Amino acid sequence: MKELLAPLKTHNRSVLTLLLLAAFIWSLFSVTWSRDLVHAGGWTTTVQIFEGLIKPDLSPEIVALAIESSWVTVVYAVTGMTVALIIAFIFGILGSGVLFSSHAVRVIAMGIFRGILATIRAIHELVWALLFVAVIGLSPYAAVFALGIPYGGILGRILADMINDVPKEPIQALRAAGASRLQCLLYGYLPLVRANMISYTMYRFECSIRSSAIMSFVGLGGLGYQIQLSLSDLNYDEVWTFLFFLIAIVVLIDAWSNSLRKRLVL
Amino acid sequence: MKNKVQIPRKKRRFSFVSFSILLVFALLAGSWGHILFIERAHFFELFNERNLEYAKKFFSGLFGFQEEKPAFVDKESWKNAIQLTYETLQMSVMALGFATIVAMLTVIPASRTIADGTLTVSKRWYHWILFGIIRGLYIFSRAVPELVFAMVIVFIFKPGILPGAIALALHNFGIIGKLCAEVIEDTDARPIRNLASAGASNAQILFYGIIPAVMPKFLTYILYRGEVIMRTSIVVGFVGAGGLGQQFKLSLSYFHYTEITLLLICYIILVFIADFISEGFRKAAR
Amino acid sequence: MHIVEINNLSKQFGRKIAISSLSFDIKKGETVALIGPSGAGKSTLLNILAGSIPPDTGIYLLDGKPIQQYKNRRELANKIGVIRQQFDLVPALPAIHNVLAGRLGEWGFFKSMLSLFVPQDKQAAANALQRVGLLDKMHDQTSRMSGGEQQRVAMARLLVQNPEVILADEPVASLDPARAEDILEMLTKLVAEEKQTLVMSLHSVEYAKKYFSRIVALRDGEIFFDLPTEDITKEHLTGLYSLKELSQE
Repeated sequence: MKELLAPLKTHNRSVLTLLLLAAFIWSLFSVTWSRDLVHAGGWTTTVQIFEGLIKPDLSPEIVALAIESSWVTVVYAVTGMTVALIIAFIFGILGSGVLFSSHAVRVIAMGIFRGILATIRAIHELVWALLFVAVIGLSPYAAVFALGIPYGGILGRILADMINDVPKEPIQALRAAGASRLQCLLYGYLPLVRANMISYTMYRFECSIRSSAIMSFVGLGGLGYQIQLSLSDLNYDEVWTFLFFLIAIVVLIDAWSNSLRKRLVL
Repeated sequence: MKNKVQIPRKKRRFSFVSFSILLVFALLAGSWGHILFIERAHFFELFNERNLEYAKKFFSGLFGFQEEKPAFVDKESWKNAIQLTYETLQMSVMALGFATIVAMLTVIPASRTIADGTLTVSKRWYHWILFGIIRGLYIFSRAVPELVFAMVIVFIFKPGILPGAIALALHNFGIIGKLCAEVIEDTDARPIRNLASAGASNAQILFYGIIPAVMPKFLTYILYRGEVIMRTSIVVGFVGAGGLGQQFKLSLSYFHYTEITLLLICYIILVFIADFISEGFRKAAR
Repeated sequence: MHIVEINNLSKQFGRKIAISSLSFDIKKGETVALIGPSGAGKSTLLNILAGSIPPDTGIYLLDGKPIQQYKNRRELANKIGVIRQQFDLVPALPAIHNVLAGRLGEWGFFKSMLSLFVPQDKQAAANALQRVGLLDKMHDQTSRMSGGEQQRVAMARLLVQNPEVILADEPVASLDPARAEDILEMLTKLVAEEKQTLVMSLHSVEYAKKYFSRIVALRDGEIFFDLPTEDITKEHLTGLYSLKELSQE
């Protein structure tokens, strides 16, 4: 049976590739291709930008400013991830349905909580930020929640999926030993998903650094804010300095999460 | 207890894991300390009367209580919003296309097993240099957010779909490239080495050895990034790179609340549909 | 005194009859081996005895009380403990927490949460691990242990849970012969020390004859024979397995 399906599958893939290609070609027709697409001074600007790459501004003031903004960026990422993890735990566990004994309640709860998670993660963190700033003004909490809510949606969905995928035997054994559903969560589900959840959270933490950097766009500090200021003053050499700091943070966190992943057992 | 057994003590070693735990706690303390004491932001002050007033106004605005004709019941506004959604969709697809093309052009020299010659049995000194340059580019592309790319690109291109698509593509080609390079590194080298030692040319190795082996994973990753791009496409519009985002930002600054509601509805539907289609495709690709 | 009394027990999965009108009693302190070809209904019977699936018809009295009257899992956990293959443990937890999981039936939620950080009833866990010979591995990650060691951790958990009846479903199926004998020897010894009752399903007739006082053979959901170990002859066994091959054709 499997051997019969194999050529069909490769066929499937080619159709899919062709479909994607067709969609891409269709999208190209949306642009009227002409010299008009570029600003009059576009080429000169490009050259200037790359000149900045070769000679980034490494004066002490700018470097000090970059270090300070890097810290602010990390602060928002960490606090945002804290909120995200709280949301993920509450909604992810409820959305996995393992706490409910009756089948009907479980199906309904899974629908509701997974639906909430899907909706909050569909909206981009910057959209959340704009909405929050409109309501509570330029408070740091606007950034924290703007980051935390969509990330909570993503992490919560992953947590719920992981909990649903754990092997059944250890859980049955715990039930047989007299554990309640909450105790099964503590001694079964959560330890079983821990390692995978930590690696995924680390990956998301790296993403949250980038998101935190662009929170500045709604007027909250950090690397993105400095990049924006330097851009509006056309100081491309400063832009590159800040970009290098951003890249350094991302690379550092990437290295950290890679070496942590290697050491985590199961 | 019948017999008292000596309980063994837990051996505590300072490992990388305990270092990580400490680092996490330090980061948490430092960050929340910064928010609470340096920024002096107090959580409960958020619930003051002024904010409640704003919130009330904002939400009743979103639901169109003060307007005679909210945008989301207006035919013209819907037409406009759907046009923008269509443009956003085109922008995302174009971005995904650009990103994929660049990633595919660079992915082969970017995989370690090609650079060190385990896959092709041919070693060239420049392989490692090429590997380093492309991986460096990937890191750059991955680390810089799409919005920053967009902010720079609107300096060069005139506002519209193209700069948005380019910004999204610049951020995503590195991610697609890195994921796909890892797929190549993980493929079983033996059949490909057999091809190589049977005298196949590089192009033949590519078409008969590598592509069939990595295609399913590649498609999965490309579709996954497609979902992400769809969700992010609204953001590049904020700095004038076209699509739903640009209109969203305008409506927000002119306080056209019901238009915001309408645009949000279109955006969420777009993201949901993209997720749905991509999930279906991914199942087909497996 | 009979701890397990079964009368006319039946269970069907869709069209397949897993168990058909089984009746037998088990005395306190007995060690019973369930043998028979695969698909004979051994696992189904053990699951019914454990209370994890309800029988379709028939009566099952556990310690004189119908199984349906055990209101919750905690009450049942005092009476019955289960051991299966070593996949029963949570690999990501240290051995001590897997052992203390046997206490979960008695502990409330907060005590069990606290115990993950500051182990409660450490002495009980240490005693149990000492008896299975794993005291020095108390704080080791369970995933780093061998199959035999993991099965001994599962036994330590049963010691902490301390039920009156232990049900074992092929506990040595995935171990090599030497390890399997170690585990069986240890388990039957511990059961004897605690004056518990043991019901175990097994593939190997050898082990059944060596370690158990009574052997119940199942075939196609019915009892083929139910005898004290010393009364079992070669004819009984060839009958049990050859008949199965005939029925397969």
